[in-house]
Amino acid sequence: MSRVPLPPRGAQRFNTVCQFCIVGCGYHVYKWPAQQEGGAAPDANALGLDFRAVQPALGTWISPHQHSVVTDRDGSRHNVVIIPDRACRVNEGMASVRGGGLAQTLYAPDRPTRARLSTPLLDEGAGPVKASWADAVDLGARVIKAVIDRWGPHAVGMKFFDHGGGGGGFENNWAVGRFFFSGVGTRTASIHNRPAYNSEVHAAGDAGVAALTNSYLDAELADTIVIVGANPYETQTNYFLAHMVPNLQGGTVPTKRSTFPGETVEAARMIIVDPRRTMTVATAEAAAGADRVLHLQIEPGSDIALLNAIARIALERRWYDPAFIQERVEWQTFEAYQRSTLNVDMALDEFVAEAAQITGVRAEKLFQAAEWIASPKAGGERRRTLLHYEKGLIWGLKNYENVAAIVDLGLLTGNVGKPGTGVSRLGGHQEGYVRPAYPGGRPALNVDEAVRRGEVKCFWVGGCNPVLTTLRAEAFEGALRDRGAPVRAALGATAGRPVGERVTAIVEALKNGGMFVIVQDIYRTATAAHAHLILPAAQWGEMNLTSINGERRLRLYEKFMDPPGEAVPDWSIIARFAKRIRQLYQDDNNPLLANRFLDYDWRSDEDVFIHARYQFKGDSTDPMEGYAGVTYDLLRKLGNNGIQTPVRLVRGVPVGTVRMHEDGKFGTASGKARFIAAPRPWPGYAAKVARQRKNHRFWINNGRSNQIWQTSYHHQFIPFYQGRFPIPYLEMHADDAKELGIASSDLVELSNDMGTVRAMAYVSDAVKRGQTFMLFGQPRGAIGDLVSDHVDPATTIPYYKGVWANIRRIGPLPDIAKAVSFAPMNVAS
Amino acid sequence: MSNDETRDLPDACPVSRREFMRITLSGSLVAGMTPGLSGAAIQTVAGDAYPVVDVAPLDAIKEAAPVAFTYPDKNSPAVLLRLRQPAPGGVGPNGTLVAYSGLCTHKGCPVAWRPERNLLICPCHWSSFDPAKAGQMVIGQGSEALPQIALRVSGSMVQAVGVTGLIYGRETNIL
Repeated sequence: MSRVPLPPRGAQRFNTVCQFCIVGCGYHVYKWPAQQEGGAAPDANALGLDFRAVQPALGTWISPHQHSVVTDRDGSRHNVVIIPDRACRVNEGMASVRGGGLAQTLYAPDRPTRARLSTPLLDEGAGPVKASWADAVDLGARVIKAVIDRWGPHAVGMKFFDHGGGGGGFENNWAVGRFFFSGVGTRTASIHNRPAYNSEVHAAGDAGVAALTNSYLDAELADTIVIVGANPYETQTNYFLAHMVPNLQGGTVPTKRSTFPGETVEAARMIIVDPRRTMTVATAEAAAGADRVLHLQIEPGSDIALLNAIARIALERRWYDPAFIQERVEWQTFEAYQRSTLNVDMALDEFVAEAAQITGVRAEKLFQAAEWIASPKAGGERRRTLLHYEKGLIWGLKNYENVAAIVDLGLLTGNVGKPGTGVSRLGGHQEGYVRPAYPGGRPALNVDEAVRRGEVKCFWVGGCNPVLTTLRAEAFEGALRDRGAPVRAALGATAGRPVGERVTAIVEALKNGGMFVIVQDIYRTATAAHAHLILPAAQWGEMNLTSINGERRLRLYEKFMDPPGEAVPDWSIIARFAKRIRQLYQDDNNPLLANRFLDYDWRSDEDVFIHARYQFKGDSTDPMEGYAGVTYDLLRKLGNNGIQTPVRLVRGVPVGTVRMHEDGKFGTASGKARFIAAPRPWPGYAAKVARQRKNHRFWINNGRSNQIWQTSYHHQFIPFYQGRFPIPYLEMHADDAKELGIASSDLVELSNDMGTVRAMAYVSDAVKRGQTFMLFGQPRGAIGDLVSDHVDPATTIPYYKGVWANIRRIGPLPDIAKAVSFAPMNVAS
Repeated sequence: MSNDETRDLPDACPVSRREFMRITLSGSLVAGMTPGLSGAAIQTVAGDAYPVVDVAPLDAIKEAAPVAFTYPDKNSPAVLLRLRQPAPGGVGPNGTLVAYSGLCTHKGCPVAWRPERNLLICPCHWSSFDPAKAGQMVIGQGSEALPQIALRVSGSMVQAVGVTGLIYGRETNIL
């Protein structure tokens, strides 16, 4: 494209928030008829800018990827331009590489996104064929009812999104939770990225500390920012670039001065705990100067030992916060923490030396980290430290103790509930959780295993792709295939027969180890390949939805186009099933079960939003997502800055919360926080993991990257992204690559006791010898195939990062070598 | 899972090759570069909106010395590089001469040539672009590759004749 069309004056303008990462950058959507175009003069285009001249650096520009043409259901064609909102406090007019391509994710019959699901599909053995909504819902509802009646509610299994942003939001989450928990009543539930229905931060919850405590403003006010197991330049981009970097550069010193009069203020320091030298390390050094960035390049799984060593030093040096602990923490938990987790009976030097040995980080660096986190400032004031963590910790060695270690460090140093502080997830996707209580216990049931064991008779997967992302994924996919086969045979044998007869045949198949699989999604995913019934959902931009970002900022993401074909929002799919099941139970003269599926007559997205709001009271009993008193009208008025949850009702007026725990109250019965003691300073590897580690040469660290969102469900259809990583990359140390005869761009195979997977080699100094990093969850190479089925027994959370495998070269990929860059991805100059 | 069609490698590499697009440049000068011959001897090919601009004589282009010029107008900084290896769109000896817009596709800051890394890197938000791979963004926050300036050799002169991609800050390359 040699040019982009400008939105004319009078083009429709919508507010929205990026569908991708937790940061939730604000965007404006302009939509106008395809045959029209604005002029270059400022009074002739909707942006009011003079495009007869060149826009200045850091100004507003429409890049070709920020434009596309869409077709609504009435056949009308429209230009759509999606550009970052300069007035949004989150991103201040910046796009990330992901948000910059939002317009390319839109459905269009003449672009690769034509692959979107547009009608229900039924697979009777000869491949999926179109079905009407009425037939699809009728068959699915009858199967679910038959399973509940014969095997009980827990034989209905589900794996569903629970997040905000694209494919989620309060509306869709409420419908899903209500259906499965209040309606079906199953405990056989699991969340999109893991085998169970559980918090990823149970330890924080037990400590009374919210998952998302701080405001992005706090990253501008902190003296020290600590990043554990996260890579924010790449995966929380504009939080890093618009809020952390200015602080590292000293640009927020005036704000600090006015916020903290009389207090010692200077540019922030940053501590990054990561086994890799990432782009975050390189850019933090470029922003702050290398002497103000401490990169602690730990050995795999040693986070707990590192964090506890830092805590122990802070304790011994009297850098902890006794006043905070006395006033805000259950005192007796502090003693257990000191004696058990921090093993105060052991001499400090010995304790630190042991941690240095486990982590591979020199003792003096541990002391330096403790100093940067907790030592008093030049004027004697307490240092303001913002502690952030994400999947490196959450999906690390031992989920519960990992998260406990950083939350405990935050409590010890008093770094929560005050400006410039926090102990908070950085987050992956956005949030927007509102559901009735999960009926299962804790630790939650492992649904992957229930699927493999044949306890699940009907399995409904929504907005996620476990064939690519779950642990021990080959075995999981094998179970979908094998258990799905008898059902497919039953469907094939009864094609064209009345639905009652078909359901009878399906139930017979279920009795013989079969499993009926429903997949609800926007594309035909690798998991959908095993579905009997495929249901087409609307995506971001095709419905109104609401979500919160990493600082709990709640906004309305406005609908600006129709879904393709007969696709409808997830909540509407769920409502159709609920209504049909209710009717079937009424026909059965079973009012008890019929009434569990009552009240799904929502007519709009906002109906669901308001319905879900009854979960919140508007007082301090609400969780961090609470949005009492909030309406779409209010959110429309608040635009892309929205309101930060939890929203309290003060004399009937909704009031947001900038920072959690600022009132000194924590989420426990006593209102005080709790240290979560661990039995020892570092638990070591679980047996299954230790065995895999012993028998394989390379550690296969894995996670997200800058350019690719999750499983590439959109990005595989967008050449700009797909062309960067046509095959998932595997970062390898140059010496390891040389030994194995591997060069960048070669196709390599990784194998271990769980399975095999392929990747393209990317020789890099980001990783140490014997260590690698692979892009997770990709359609052309899913790391899940290598992840063992070990989970933290306390939380049922996997150690996804704990993969060891052998690597061999398959051969060259000449086309890729020619077209794809293998230049370093971790340099800033 | 090797039988699963969605996981098999495609026969042909799915990497997209950008269409050759015709565009223009804008913005501030690329720091630290040898001045080129911008403004000199501008001709226009009949029926073509892009000007033909002499950039530098072939023998004046050294590996370590990028040539700064502007194209297709004086508000559009660009850089001519001599790479060690042949590159897509390269002209001259072994096809090693390539040229790019000097403005990052993220927010329009001037990119800087880092010969020790063979990358053009933006100092504002650290996006980097690979001149040996048609300006592909290596990592960073732009949503476009760096626009490539089409070159040709006429006698002993390297000339700029067109642009692939839209240059930052413009709705069209030729204003």
